[in-house]
Amino acid sequence: MTDNAVSLAEVELRRPHFQLGPIHLEVPKGYVTAIVGPNGSGKSSTFRLILDLIKPDKGDIKLLGQRSSSEEDWQTKSKVGYLPELFSPHDDKLRAFSKTEFVKKWYPAWDVNRYQELLRLFEVDDGIRLGKMSKGMRRKYELALVLSHYPELLLLDEPSSGLDPLAWRTMIDVLHRYMEPGDRTILMASHIVEEVKRLADYIVFMVHGRVLGVYEKDELFGSWHAFYVPGEQISRKLAQEMPGHCGIEEAGGGMIRVITRMAPAAEAWCEQEGIAISHRQALQLDDILAILVEQERMRLRS
Amino acid sequence: MWLPIQINEQSAEPLYYQIEVQLRALIVSGQLEEGVLLPSIRELAQLLKCSVITVRRVYQDLENEGLLRTKQGTGTYVARIEQNAMDRYRLDAVTEGLEAAIDAGKLVQCTREELMKLFQAVLDRKFGG
Repeated sequence: MTDNAVSLAEVELRRPHFQLGPIHLEVPKGYVTAIVGPNGSGKSSTFRLILDLIKPDKGDIKLLGQRSSSEEDWQTKSKVGYLPELFSPHDDKLRAFSKTEFVKKWYPAWDVNRYQELLRLFEVDDGIRLGKMSKGMRRKYELALVLSHYPELLLLDEPSSGLDPLAWRTMIDVLHRYMEPGDRTILMASHIVEEVKRLADYIVFMVHGRVLGVYEKDELFGSWHAFYVPGEQISRKLAQEMPGHCGIEEAGGGMIRVITRMAPAAEAWCEQEGIAISHRQALQLDDILAILVEQERMRLRS
Repeated sequence: MWLPIQINEQSAEPLYYQIEVQLRALIVSGQLEEGVLLPSIRELAQLLKCSVITVRRVYQDLENEGLLRTKQGTGTYVARIEQNAMDRYRLDAVTEGLEAAIDAGKLVQCTREELMKLFQAVLDRKFGG
């Protein structure tokens, strides 16, 4: 059995305009798991549920082995670093170091040298008022803040929003190094394709408040391929029989483009049917997400 | 540490297999010598933009083949490889190449004799016979 840093079982959150769940999600310890989904799919709400900032209407949530909303949960939370997508404006008037002074009290493992090193790496001056910081600067400051107590678990909600490309690269590098010991965990929400590609070990698709599946990254990209096949070799009807097919279209030049989410099985099927694949193309994360969103839309309509 | 491993995302070969073949070649060709410390699993995953699950699998497979050894807490090293094992791996790569060439011939309905003649001709050209 794998150790989970976070687990959600049958969790539901009902709001007048939105229902989240039922969500079943296990975040394995020691890995980077990325939640990918369109805006409004429930990614941020999931983070807030995990941290017990909002209560679910149903279900069971465990954070680092502890059921949330148990008493003394600050001890569990002191091992977590949470970077929200948006920061509340109530501390805008504070200079950054004042916020640091306040925050560090809550973390027994706080390491001032680590904090200074991160500020230097990210080129952040913590003498500036938070409200005066640019979006990117604020993000980098908050990132340094959540990393300075060596959390066991990092929850990152759209970590790179507002970062310039250089700061982005620094962040990716810092996060890789953070993961180096092997027993730490990152759960992040992102729709930056390249970020997920560089960081994630597992990818979770979330659409309309539902978890559509959890995939090992390389297996996912190795499974979703588009095959280009000459039209005389395959009819639309025959293409419907290809394992895992989820899209058939004319590609011009007499070619048919068939998308499969089971590339190895589809390839074996083609060989068996005597169909020659002229060209193949691995789908990108956004292509896969677009197909899943469309399928989910069809499901909701029917 | 940088390793000259190239990933082809468009390939039908699974990623772990692509990495495994190339890392094995680097070891048996002697480009990575005995005792060399390989990147950590997370580092190599970062370098190749793949998951740690894939890299762990590659290291595990090559360790089972006796090409790598892992010391608890310090990392993964290139193991000592016997000469005859080296020779076998050396020929493995050649066999694979020849098989691919013959498959290419069969695809265009070459006969055995045609292939033999071609093979001889290429051999003569390459060795200047």
